[in-house]
Formats: sequence, C-alpha cells, structure tokens
Amino acid sequence: MLQVTDLDVFYGDAQALWGASVTVGSGEVVSIVGSNGAGKSTLVNAIMGILRPRRGRIVLDDQDVTETPGHRMCRAGVAIVPEGRRLFPSMSVEDNLDLGAFNRVARAHYEESLQWVHTLFPRLADRRSQLAGSLSGGEQQMLAIGRGLMARPRLLLMDEPSLGLAPVVVDEVFDVIETVRDEGVSVLLVEQNAQMALDVSSRAYLLAEGRVVMDGTAEELAKSREVRDSVLGL
Amino acid sequence: MIELQAAVSGALNGSLYALMALGLSLAWGFLKVINLAHFAMILLAGYLTFELATSTGLSPIATIVVTAPLMFLVGALIQLGYERFDVSELNSLLISYGLLIITVQVVTNIWTADFQRLPSEINPFSAESLAVGSLRFPMPTLLAAGFAVVLVVAAALVLGRTYAGRALQAFGQDREIASAFGIDHRLLGVLLAGAAGASAAVAGMLFPIGGTLTPDLPFEWIGLVFAIVILGGIGNVTGTLYAGLLVGATSGLVAVIWTPSTSPFVVFSLVVLALVFRPKGLFPQKGG
Repeated sequence: MLQVTDLDVFYGDAQALWGASVTVGSGEVVSIVGSNGAGKSTLVNAIMGILRPRRGRIVLDDQDVTETPGHRMCRAGVAIVPEGRRLFPSMSVEDNLDLGAFNRVARAHYEESLQWVHTLFPRLADRRSQLAGSLSGGEQQMLAIGRGLMARPRLLLMDEPSLGLAPVVVDEVFDVIETVRDEGVSVLLVEQNAQMALDVSSRAYLLAEGRVVMDGTAEELAKSREVRDSVLGL
Repeated sequence: MIELQAAVSGALNGSLYALMALGLSLAWGFLKVINLAHFAMILLAGYLTFELATSTGLSPIATIVVTAPLMFLVGALIQLGYERFDVSELNSLLISYGLLIITVQVVTNIWTADFQRLPSEINPFSAESLAVGSLRFPMPTLLAAGFAVVLVVAAALVLGRTYAGRALQAFGQDREIASAFGIDHRLLGVLLAGAAGASAAVAGMLFPIGGTLTPDLPFEWIGLVFAIVILGGIGNVTGTLYAGLLVGATSGLVAVIWTPSTSPFVVFSLVVLALVFRPKGLFPQKGG
C-alpha cells in the first residue's frame, strides 16, 4: 500500500536520508530500526508530508503523494503518532481526539472511532475532560495513539511509541499495535527498542547514517549480525 | 474620590488599548507573526471613518459597514503575503514596521499632519457623558469599552467553543502536527488575520469619535499596546482585556497620585517584573 523509492531528504544543506526505499503492505506491521540519528524520524516525517523530500517518490495505493502537503495526507489515509507524542497540551483529552478526526472523511465516522479508541484505552474515557498536558507519560502516549486512530488511517506511522515509558506501559502499547493491525490498519513502526519492534513486525529495515543498510523479514533481521551489533547491543 | 474617578476612567481607556492589543496578540500567538501593520490598519481605519463620516454625513459608527470588511481584506492579504514568502517571526516585525512607516507617510500626504477632528454635528457622542453618582464618564470612552468587551468576549467564545477555534488553538500549540491532522493552516491563518483586521477597523473608528487624529498616533500606541499583549499573555484574549483594564487603571491612578509623566515608568516597570516572574502573562491559561 505504501512504496517509498530512492528518497533523499535534506535539512537545509545537511542530507539526512540517502536513497531510502521502503514498502509497507496492506495489514502489515513493518518496523524501521536503527540507532539514534539514523534518519528514522526523518523518513516518517517525509512520508507524512511534514518534510519535503528533494528526490525520490512516495506512492500510496498507486497514487503519487510525494508533493502532497501534510494536511492532505491525512485525508489520503495516513496518520502519525509523533515522536515525543506532541499532543495539544492545553486542550482536553476529548478535544485532542476531536482534532484527530479533523479531516472530512474521519469526521463522518467520529462516534464510531471514539468508541473504538475508548475500548482500546478505557482510561482515556475516564479522563476525557482532563487537560492533555496533565496526563501521565503512558496516558499521553495512549492519547497520541488514540488521536492518530481518530483520523481513521489505513496506514499509521508510529515514531518511537515506547520512548520514556515504564515497561508495563510499553507492553500495553505493543499489544495495541497488534490489535490495530488485526483490524486492518497497516503500521510503519519506528523504534529504538528493536527487540520488541521486531517481535510484532512481519518485515523490517535497518537504517544507519541515513541509508537503508538491510531489509528482510523481522526474523532475519533479529538474527543478523548487523542488527545485533548496531541496535540490539548483543 | 478623584482617585476612584481616575482609576475607573483609566480602566475604560485601557479597554480601548486592549481592543488594539487583541488583534496583535492573536496574530502573534496563533500565527507567529508580530504584525506592526496592525497599527497601520487602525490608523487608516481612523482616517477612513473620519473621511466617510464628513463626506456623507453618516454617523461615524455606521462607517464600520465599509471599514470592517475593507480591513478584513487588508489583514487577510498581508497574511497571504507572509505565507507566500514564508516570513519568520522576527522578519514579520521588520517588514510590518516598514508597512507602518509607509502608511503613516501616505496618511500624512493625504490628510496632512494637522489635527483632524469630526465636526460635532456628525459626532454627537463627543459632548455626551454619563454620570454615575459623583463619577462622570464621557460617551466615547464608554463606547470604546463596550466595543472592546463585546469583541474580546466574541473572540474568546469563537476560540473556545467552535471547531475552527479549537483547530486554531491546536495550530498555535503545534503547527506541524495540527497540519498532519488535516488542519489547513493557510485558510485558518488568513481568516484569523482578516478578523484581526476587522477588529483594527473597530478600534480605528473609536479614535475620531473620542478625539483628534494625527498621523503619528501609532507611535504613541505601540509601547502601551505591547505592554498589554505581554502582560495579558501572548494569544490569550481574555488576559488581554484584563491587562488593558489593569494598565489603564494603574496609569490613571499614578497620574493623579504622582504626575502623568510617572505612569509610563510604573507601567513598564510592571512589564519588566511580569517578564521576570510571570513570563506567560499575568493571567496564564490552564495547561500550557
């Protein structure tokens, strides 16, 4: 459903991605692993349309979306759970979810989506009128995922969803990734916690210094010397 | 008693400054532009009100039918320009300072640098006043306060209660992520800048009603208006009104207790203290 080909992305004059190619199939969890600064978030932000690639193509369901700005990408069926959560801190939990469903397609399914998110994260229902900024780290991550799901994506981009969370909450987050996949949403997962990411993924890519240095099934990557050396630290 | 009169009159005057600060604060907080051209629009609207009222004989308040949509358009166009050239926060300050200087010059060329005053037969408000006990309030000041309160309350309601308002808040808090969820910042930004322009038209109308016009008025406004924006909290609309009332009342009181020339000293000392101890404004919003 997503094909990224030969992507070059720059920050000003500094190149962050060199010819990155990644594909995600329908209903699949694909992870991008790699160390800090390898270009993982850059790739996600380029797909979302937050960053504009200088070269290469991004195709979503046979439609070229390379030049599509961020605010159109979400109508095309892509949503993001950004690194560091980036909620709207001085707005309530409910308003954050509400804004997740801002685009017209998602708006039409608002009640249905809200029910789904509340089933996945019952705590968000209890805290609906609390300000997002006053939630605990784990609750904030759930809200960030919930907000992403409110957009009714066919492809969910998740950038470091386990960062800074207690182990119990990390387990919960990864359970949700599997649930979401089972409901037919494709997930592109960027994680430093490579072990857990590979456990829930069917395929994976290893990114190092802005280049895809390896790709294959999650099992292949988990066993490979490169991944074990560079990310798993075994 | 004179102290009470000074404080209340000062507060009412301050509300006019709050009305000027409203548009500036919204654009700064939500669009990240420091739009000094806002003062140019207020000045221009003031002179247009003067011109339209004297040439047609209409009440100056009626001219708002023309000036508000016109300034909406001007505000929106300036914002489109900022968007088109991807102007940063600091550069918007420099560019709009240039626009302000140009406007002041153009206004001087058209209407001369002399004082302009609406003839009293067109401006019945200038002579009227309202007495409350032993206190007395000139009608123009009351009108200004009334418009300021109505517009601030309207802005607060739109921001807090409507979907577009919440989208704007989201945009002010994290523009990239708001955009990733489908919030088209260009459209919202242009609408907000237009609304700020329309509020400038209302503020501009109140000057010829209350007194005389000269082209260099904006340079008298800037300091106080910025003080109010900062004390109120950038982008905080109700805070802007409170700050306007506070600054106005303080200036009024200081002027009668000491001398009028001491009031800027006290007001700006207040700003410095606020920046040190309450950098998000005196009336912080929840969360943040």
